[in-house]
Amino acid sequence: MLDIEDLSVVIRRPGRQVAALSNVSFSVAPGEVVGLVGESGGGKSMVARAIVGMLPSGSHATGRVGFDGADVLRMDAAALAKHRGRGAAICFQNPRGALSPTRTVGRQLIDRLVTHQGMSGDRAVESAAELFASVGIRNPGQRLRAYPHELSGGMAQRVMISLAAGCAPSLLIADEPTTGLDVTLTAEILRQFRHAADTDGRGVLLISHDLASIAEVCDRVVVLYAGTVVETGPAAKVLREPAHPYTRALLRSVPDVGGGRVVATAGGMPLLTAAPHDCPFAPRCAHATDVCRTTRPETEKLADGWSLACFHPQEAPLSVVNAEKSDNAATEAGRIVLRVEDAHVVYRSRFGSGGHHALRGVSLELRTGETLGVVGESGCGKSTLAKLIMGLVEPSAGAVAVAGKDVRKRSRVERTRAQMVFQDPIGSLSPRRTVADSIAEPLRAAKVSTADRARRVEAALGRMELDDSILTRYPHELSGGQAQRIGIARALVGEPDLIVFDEPTSALDVTVQAQILEVIADVAADAGHGSVFISHDLATVRGFADRVVVLYLGRVVEEGPVDEVFDHPRHPYTRALLGSAPRLGATRAADVQLVKDLDEADAATGCALAARCPFVTDTCRSQEQTLQPYGESRAACWRVPELPALIGKSDS
Amino acid sequence: MADPQLAPVVIGGGDRDRRFARALIYVGGAILVVAALAAVFAPLLSKWGPTEIDPAGTLATPGGAHLLGTDGNGMDVWSRVLHAARIDLGIAVCAVALAVVVGTLLGLLAGYLGGWVDDVLMRIVDIFQAFPTFILALAVAALLGDGFGNLVLTIAAVNAPAYARLVRAEVRTLREMAYIEAAKTSGASMFGILWRHLLPNSLTPVRVIAPLNCGWAMLTLAGLSFLGLGVTVPTAEWGSMISLGTSDVVAGRWWTSVPPGLALLVCVLGFSLLGEGLQERADAKRR
Amino acid sequence: MRILRFVGRRLLQLIPVLLGVVVLTFLLVRVLPGDPIRSILGPNATEADAAAARARFGLDQPLWKQFLDYLGGLFTGNFGTSIQSGSPVSGEMALRLGPTLELVVIAVAIAVVLAIWLGIWSARRADRLGDHTVRIFALFGNSIPEFWLGLVLILVGYAALGWFPAPSGRVDPDTNLTPLTGADLVDAVLTGNGPAMASAAAHLVLPVLTLVIGVLAPLLRSVRASALEVLHSEAYAAAAAHGLPERTLLRGYLRRATLVRLPSLAALVFGTAIGSTVLVEYVYSWQGFGQWALRGLLYRDYPVVQASVLIIALCYVLIFLIADVVHAVLDPRVRI
Repeated sequence: MLDIEDLSVVIRRPGRQVAALSNVSFSVAPGEVVGLVGESGGGKSMVARAIVGMLPSGSHATGRVGFDGADVLRMDAAALAKHRGRGAAICFQNPRGALSPTRTVGRQLIDRLVTHQGMSGDRAVESAAELFASVGIRNPGQRLRAYPHELSGGMAQRVMISLAAGCAPSLLIADEPTTGLDVTLTAEILRQFRHAADTDGRGVLLISHDLASIAEVCDRVVVLYAGTVVETGPAAKVLREPAHPYTRALLRSVPDVGGGRVVATAGGMPLLTAAPHDCPFAPRCAHATDVCRTTRPETEKLADGWSLACFHPQEAPLSVVNAEKSDNAATEAGRIVLRVEDAHVVYRSRFGSGGHHALRGVSLELRTGETLGVVGESGCGKSTLAKLIMGLVEPSAGAVAVAGKDVRKRSRVERTRAQMVFQDPIGSLSPRRTVADSIAEPLRAAKVSTADRARRVEAALGRMELDDSILTRYPHELSGGQAQRIGIARALVGEPDLIVFDEPTSALDVTVQAQILEVIADVAADAGHGSVFISHDLATVRGFADRVVVLYLGRVVEEGPVDEVFDHPRHPYTRALLGSAPRLGATRAADVQLVKDLDEADAATGCALAARCPFVTDTCRSQEQTLQPYGESRAACWRVPELPALIGKSDS
Repeated sequence: MADPQLAPVVIGGGDRDRRFARALIYVGGAILVVAALAAVFAPLLSKWGPTEIDPAGTLATPGGAHLLGTDGNGMDVWSRVLHAARIDLGIAVCAVALAVVVGTLLGLLAGYLGGWVDDVLMRIVDIFQAFPTFILALAVAALLGDGFGNLVLTIAAVNAPAYARLVRAEVRTLREMAYIEAAKTSGASMFGILWRHLLPNSLTPVRVIAPLNCGWAMLTLAGLSFLGLGVTVPTAEWGSMISLGTSDVVAGRWWTSVPPGLALLVCVLGFSLLGEGLQERADAKRR
Repeated sequence: MRILRFVGRRLLQLIPVLLGVVVLTFLLVRVLPGDPIRSILGPNATEADAAAARARFGLDQPLWKQFLDYLGGLFTGNFGTSIQSGSPVSGEMALRLGPTLELVVIAVAIAVVLAIWLGIWSARRADRLGDHTVRIFALFGNSIPEFWLGLVLILVGYAALGWFPAPSGRVDPDTNLTPLTGADLVDAVLTGNGPAMASAAAHLVLPVLTLVIGVLAPLLRSVRASALEVLHSEAYAAAAAHGLPERTLLRGYLRRATLVRLPSLAALVFGTAIGSTVLVEYVYSWQGFGQWALRGLLYRDYPVVQASVLIIALCYVLIFLIADVVHAVLDPRVRI
């Protein structure tokens, strides 16, 4: 059905030229789910735009985008109007932004039904409600009248899927459909696409940066690197025994909840100005030889519809390298650098009473040389916890002390004893200050002399493996990876007692993420300070945390040594989180499935999870749960001992 | 295999936008340069002084001894049009510069400190903004009286609240940015955060608005003078020249009011073009 | 119901602002250089004459007493007596408000409709010749001094071509129009006075045109910018990528999303128009509110200045209130 042949797109703008796609070929058949995988800059979105005939201005395209026999690139306006929606429909990456803010979502769906399925009046309303129900929206009739801003992220993504499906397309394109969604939701959203292929016979093109998470629902995957297809093949096979070094690098860069170690690949993706005459991955490839650097590998067809563009295909199955746990000797000897005691944070709305209770009675303790992992979904209070520790928000009750000093009663110099690494690497650097200026900021407060400052900045920079020449640059001239290294250097330069990493890698590309994780692992292992590592992604935490805390709606629901929590989760919520995290080489265990989305669950009294827990009883609803010891870890659930039996029952 | 002979498909344009923006900036800039030169070299470009009365006659038609004729007082219109550029451009630019400085400082403080400082400053701004700006300018001009300094003050006072509000809004967004939090946790002092981080970054919208505002300031000044509340005869100023020519219009005598109006229009247009071009460029960067 | 509560709350918030305006103007007019009493008395008036006149207008009282009297008067709708004419301010104002509102409302209405239509048209042709033409026109409109534009229009429309009546007054006095609201065109329609209707309309053309050109430009620019933002938005691109027809896109996805930001801007422009009328009325001898207020200011007629400032502020804040309500109706994201 979709048959892309030798597609190249060069974008020419004054002063720069980018070869976005170079000789891309692949196809999608009806009823097939194809994954299009690669990092940003790889050309995934450009493929999607080419398929719906919406290439950006300044594009020069050659080759063919075949769709049911016609060529999309050369369609006239009338044919294109027919093709868009009915032929191929896109689910956009950011569903909230892609829904028109001033029209009800029902109207928007009905517009599609009227245009592409010729429906009218009540029939369209009825179908719209059915479509909503089919993508898992409760109360469809009521939701039809909602405006986009009233929807949560997961709900908006479901609406977006129904909008695309409402066009009754032959090909459904999903652009990063699970980015920004919580782990407990991603599996369900991905199943929707499998469903569309299986029951409606649509072709599905699933675009993602995360091969491991989409592989399960895909029949085949296509891996893009710098605008070229490097590997195509059956999903399961590519996932288990990838042949192209880039595919292998991509898979190894993703941390694994099973405890597999991240192997980083140095360097970054090149921005090509013309179709390459060599292997674009060669500079980063461990297997590269002279031929790779002078000749571009042809795409070779192997068995089982597997094809590859590489001179040195790898054959061994990708093994999971288990991290050897370095026993942190410092743990016993370290002094306490952070103590949080029964802290509550309430964000008051400016007028009237009420307010948002972001943290409810959190207690923590951290020593030098130790790393504490904090995990939870969006809205669980993990960012608030970070701000609380840094003294950026004040506790409504309870106390926070860094290095034995109450955060509310610190001098300017004492404030620099705790440092933070932020989620948005570029946004955390002042746009009109040079890199040198940014790194030196904590030293300035500590009144370090200018010469000394320069020396220490250079030392911190050296540790981040960055060149001195970067010192005079401004944030907008940096890549995400460089900016985050600067952020870490700034945190390190004053030799603080405590470093808080707030989702430091979630805004980065997969292979860059791996590089930064290595740097952080190195920094966190220092004996001189304690580290708090906050993430929504369990796998990244597992890599180097000693202990882990699981947050849910502002409460700690489970706490313990990292291996204990990951290998023997106690709390139903921890089990659900771990169950939905993608695992390399293993199918995920259907452990605990939460009911409802996070935003539909109110936690008035009793256990916070009560509204979503499949094992809920009246006791849960009425009694607040506190942390109780179970083995080496502690969990806030009284039914922990019964859970294994209960889970076994629900499975059968 | 796709036919390699097929010509590439080209998706049009994209940079016409930028060329248009550049053209706006250049044309606007050129107009302003010419106007500034005319103001500086006015005495060299005209035979008559701006307030010199030709005893030979009033309301002389253009041509002859007077390039653009004379007005009802027998003064040379061409000379007055040139000399007026000095006072019109001078007051407008000074007033906007003053408004930017004062407004930015107030906005910075209100936005960063919040609390009662913000409340008090913004209530004052509210009262200022409870009036159409020209009406406000009339009232303040009546209060302060005429003269270069007073007119600068008048126009600055009318404009400063808008800058205060603009910068305050910007600061309130920037305040939540990660780099401000980073600065705070790095132990930066309040002054350091204001001066090193908030000020340079909150000026972006001000830079675009200020040129547009200069044009508007010229219109306000001319409007005040037209009504007799600004610069007064015999000082050469475009608004008061137009005012003087009002009675001539009904009789069909165009030269006393059309040339000063045209000069004013062209100068304001220069600022508008420049501002629009800068705006366009800023938008293009944002996309 | 929610809207009513919102309006109520906003009206309450207006009280301190208006009170501030009352206090401020009361104090500031008295600081104005110049003496209102001297300007009505002849050059030969003695000190005793001045004192008598001052007593007549209550200006001999202590400041706080004057203020309390003025404030008390306000609550009963009494704005005081004009020093210049000696007649009640409220009566004079009622006569002057109608013609000015007629001028401003007609001009702003025409400008808003034109701006919406042209702005969206221009944005959809972004960076083509039509769009550039519209933008250059808008820049000219933005830069033109209204009072001078008025003069040029008189020069062309009256002095050269003779198509329009002389710029003096609002209606031909020979038509014997009975004033009701003060807005002449409305009065003519209400009294069924045909000749007066024609005369009033003819007198309106040039001043309205002058105001429209001045007011249209900023509106047009914003409508275009707003429409362009919508056209570049992900939401619009998504609708277009799903193959929705042009008409649905324009009606459902472009127009309302564009207009969402317009109300507060229209209110601002209404304010500009009020400011401009002072100049435009002066040029066309319109004898409206603007000219009256200006004379009050020039002759330091305290009660007139106080009343006109208060009325302008009231109009302005009410317009903004209306704009906020319209905004809330248009934009579902606004919570009131």
